[in-house]
Amino acid sequence: MNKVGIVSYGSYVPRYRIKIEEIAKVWEEDPDEIKAQSQIHSKSVPGPDEDVATMAVESARNAISRWKGKENDIGAIYVGSESHPYAVKPTATIVAAALDVEKTLTAADLEFACKAGTAGMQMCFGLVKSKMISLGLAIGADSSQGRPRDPLEYTAGAGSAAFLIGSENIIAELEGTYSVTTDMPDFWRREGAVYPSHGVRFTGQPAYFKHTIDASKGLMEELGTKTSDYQHVIFHQPNAKFPQVAARMLGFSKEQVELGLICKQMGNAYSASSILGFANVLNHANPGDRILLTSYGSGAGSDSFSFTVTESINSIRPYKYDTQYYLNQIEYIEYGKYARFKGILR
Amino acid sequence: MEPPKIWREKRGKYLAIGIECSDCMTKQFPFTENCTKCGSENVKEYKLATTGKILHFSIVTQTTDEMMSSTPYLIAIIELDDGVKITGQIVDCNLNEVKEGGDVRMVFRVLARNGTEGLIRYGYKFAPI
Amino acid sequence: MAKRNVFIIGTGITSFGESYENSSGKLASKALTLAIENSKIPKESVQSTFIGSLVSGSNSQPTIGANCLRESNIKTPHVRIEAGNASGSAAFHQAYLGILSGVYDCLAVVGVEKLSDFVNVGVVERILGSTIDYQWEFEMGATLTSLYAILTKAHMKEFQTTMEQLASVPVKNHKNGVNNPNAQFRKEIAIERFLNAKRIADPIGKFDSAAFCDGSASVILASEDFILHNNDISSKIPILGSSYASDNLALHHRNSLTELNATKTAAATAYKMANIKPENINVAEVHDSYPIGEILAIEDLGFFRKGEGGKAAEEGLTELNGEVSINTSGGLKARGDPFGATGVAQIIEIVEQMRGEAGKRQVGSINYGLTQNVMGTGAITYVNVLGKEEVKK
Repeated sequence: MNKVGIVSYGSYVPRYRIKIEEIAKVWEEDPDEIKAQSQIHSKSVPGPDEDVATMAVESARNAISRWKGKENDIGAIYVGSESHPYAVKPTATIVAAALDVEKTLTAADLEFACKAGTAGMQMCFGLVKSKMISLGLAIGADSSQGRPRDPLEYTAGAGSAAFLIGSENIIAELEGTYSVTTDMPDFWRREGAVYPSHGVRFTGQPAYFKHTIDASKGLMEELGTKTSDYQHVIFHQPNAKFPQVAARMLGFSKEQVELGLICKQMGNAYSASSILGFANVLNHANPGDRILLTSYGSGAGSDSFSFTVTESINSIRPYKYDTQYYLNQIEYIEYGKYARFKGILR
Repeated sequence: MEPPKIWREKRGKYLAIGIECSDCMTKQFPFTENCTKCGSENVKEYKLATTGKILHFSIVTQTTDEMMSSTPYLIAIIELDDGVKITGQIVDCNLNEVKEGGDVRMVFRVLARNGTEGLIRYGYKFAPI
Repeated sequence: MAKRNVFIIGTGITSFGESYENSSGKLASKALTLAIENSKIPKESVQSTFIGSLVSGSNSQPTIGANCLRESNIKTPHVRIEAGNASGSAAFHQAYLGILSGVYDCLAVVGVEKLSDFVNVGVVERILGSTIDYQWEFEMGATLTSLYAILTKAHMKEFQTTMEQLASVPVKNHKNGVNNPNAQFRKEIAIERFLNAKRIADPIGKFDSAAFCDGSASVILASEDFILHNNDISSKIPILGSSYASDNLALHHRNSLTELNATKTAAATAYKMANIKPENINVAEVHDSYPIGEILAIEDLGFFRKGEGGKAAEEGLTELNGEVSINTSGGLKARGDPFGATGVAQIIEIVEQMRGEAGKRQVGSINYGLTQNVMGTGAITYVNVLGKEEVKK
């Protein structure tokens, strides 16, 4: 039985941040109440010359430059996002050209709210495992939009994470993956609409929690693992509270969640949210550690993965431009500049 | 923003591909079919170094509308670690803190957008290390 | 075979500035008609018209000559010649060669530009982007102004050129422009205005660059034979040298940023053709679209040693009747800069100086005059040397 897993990974988060206080000031809302609810104190904002394609490329270049393999072996590129720069014309082809890995490969853009990145990972795992390709690149990237004054405006951030998936020199071996999918009107954006709409409280219990927990439980049951088998667990992070509550409901401890919880500084990076947390865990995990990763995408579904970190991880670490590097690069901006960068001011 | 031009120039703009002359061994940018130093046809594609130093810089406050969204921004002549000189923007920096001699690395950014319905031109810029 | 002599026998120029009521063709026609009148020749004698222009105005009609000649009721072949901001000089040089070759005996040169139509943000910046490396400078974010800022900083760094020295260039040119009836700006500006202005591309301030505008300038060139057969011609200013040279388009491909190599090369040839030395030049019109442009010019043309241009400007050595009178017309800065018209306007200023018709701008003792016209950051430079009528070759 051939092994399959992550062979390299890269992160990207734009350097601009806006604080909750700065947004709350504009709408004369209570920042302390908002922060208490979300446990997010600032969110990342892409610069005026950044979009999902540029962030996807930066994260993918980080995955490649820390790794010793041949990028020309990439046989598939999938970019998951709900904010692709073009409605028609793939981001994945831009990534392929920017990595100089055109042209014998398959590629596509994916959309599944916040879980299109993990959907791309599953596709790559499947293609590698079936030996249709030897190396795949899955990226989750978003430059998400929150309607001004909507609760999402406080948390909708930006970032990207890229994973090279293969069968040689695996740094985190896939033990299994398990998905749940239902039709769920919790969050949507119509074609041509600028901002997404959502079902407010309806996005919680029947949506985020039901799918996250069912997928995670389903995977552990299938693999016969229990919560104590995992050193780290990462969930989708629309705020910092939801993943912690989900962890508690499943029986994980605070310590197991901590390393993967990156949204407090950068907000919810949508398709990149859970996998940026995963990338941060890989920066610190030890060989032998087991990791549970469960994404959530509205609409709705969850993909759950179980990984074991291998000795090979030390061959691609340390790396300067890792998740923490970008989390530490911070320039706080005021709402006016935020409005300009986000195209609210035209 | 003409689609064939964007397509034709993508390797230069996305990847900063120049040439290395197999006769006089010089590295040059942008890509040309012949060596611009010795005229040799014996040239091969060469991907420029991705790090370098700022030699000269200035600020741009006014330019064509396709690029106005990023102004004010810094423009610089950079000497890459392989000795090739190239012009590009410096991003992710405080405009007042950039200095000649500062170390930079190549990043991938939007160069220009043709309104909200036209094409997007991507390419290299530089960020301080 | 003895070299033919080529003379300027007439000049015509419109006032420079915002001319909303005129199209580029109409502006060109006005200048051309004035030049023919000034030459005192029948307009049927003009054998061909060489039009220098960077863009054709908002008509998207590159063949400006068709409109210009119809307006003027002149029926000659015409051609538009483009060399960026130096298009006027390029047209002049081609006409000079036309007569020198013996193919023609009488040619019209018209420089024209119509820029006030471009009211939308960034259009002129894009046009100027075509004078630098469009692909690898402009599209990567550089503008002509930002590259001149880099040239300025390089000079300041290497030669300790000061902001005051740089500002003394537009101060002097505005002072000269007061006495030029065709200039866009006829007002002295105090040095503090330049020094205290907001920086648009540090160290270039808001008032440092020449303003783009509308305008046209025309000269009539003729051979010695033609002049012999046209007794009404009252003035013939000889073209003693006319040359141009090129350099790498992009600054990042240049070896030095403290000199314009194209200026040096073109000047060397022009001096050689005229059989003179830089110190023989008494008056010169140089490309001062930015203050550093004039400083580089007076050094690269050999009037002052490399690095001493700023000091020379500050000490008044380039003022009217100084060591060498630079930009007595007011230069691009005060006259205004309709790109294609500028090179021809420079020639006209030197012709007026040679004729002794420059009024309050007249340089006292004068034998040789020079023009220097630059495209972009110096990818092409044209240099012309004119003499006085008495000068026999």
